[in-house]
Amino acid sequence: MPEAFSIGFLASYTAINLFVRSNNGVSAEADALRSSAFELIRSSERSVALFGRQNDAIADIHLLAQECSSDSTRLDPVAIELAEEFLRVLPEEIPIPEFAAEPRGSISLDWIQSRNRMFSLSIGSSRRLAFAWLDGTDRGHGVVAFDGRCIPRKVLEGINAIIDGNTGFGSA
Amino acid sequence: MGILASGLPDLVCNDEDLSRFLTSSRYYNTTMVKGVAFLPSLADRESSVFRHASEPLDRLISLGKTYAAGDRNLHGAAIIKTSVVREVGLEVRADEPPPFHAAISGWPSASDPDLELARHKELANVLASASLLVRFGEVL
Repeated sequence: MPEAFSIGFLASYTAINLFVRSNNGVSAEADALRSSAFELIRSSERSVALFGRQNDAIADIHLLAQECSSDSTRLDPVAIELAEEFLRVLPEEIPIPEFAAEPRGSISLDWIQSRNRMFSLSIGSSRRLAFAWLDGTDRGHGVVAFDGRCIPRKVLEGINAIIDGNTGFGSA
Repeated sequence: MGILASGLPDLVCNDEDLSRFLTSSRYYNTTMVKGVAFLPSLADRESSVFRHASEPLDRLISLGKTYAAGDRNLHGAAIIKTSVVREVGLEVRADEPPPFHAAISGWPSASDPDLELARHKELANVLASASLLVRFGEVL
């Protein structure tokens, strides 16, 4: 099924691309058609880029699982599934974090802006996510619930505070 | 104060350097050690370290290969002052054998395991930010 979708998508995308580049109509209708086609191409390319980065991140999670498969930090299978869910709903403007295995089999997701500014989230075997942050001399921690549909507000705020440099994020 | 088999005093002084060996490339990035590298083990709720500075490097590597890496690769070490560990409320105690071995203990506990982990991560972040990353030239 994914292969059929990919082939169909590629065929449509190629056709539209050819139309835009070869069409030399000069009427207002032709211009409107070309503009719509351009927008459709741009939208498609954005979607591919978005899903591409998420897929790359999920692939990295699975690579991490392989790396840990033979030692004491073996990843919890539920943690892997929840991490995939998390990454699929991660907003486009949030960078993909760095991943590492934690002693209890959970996955650490780290957004590191500098030596003294970081936000770290743990995804384990439950929908309760532990997090901690460091921002200069300020630091804190907390636990949030993840419903699988959207990133918890406190997590988004914490990440944005670190990557944007906005102060005022407090611990739970 | 007693003297251990390594020749070190049994009391770990605040100005001593501690080395936390890095057995995964995921425990650091191009610029720094990550907090996850310091999290305590589940078995004994302690973080294993060695009372050794970044030099002499060959002895540091030998310690890591012999006593810390096991079947894992040895990528480097995080070097941190004992005083920094104690400033965040953790304890450092000598724990020989093996020689030079010590343990970071006193990680906070909580009835809620997720809250406990969050507290550990907060302290681990501080340790990571204060530590020096020593990367061994090749993966050992």
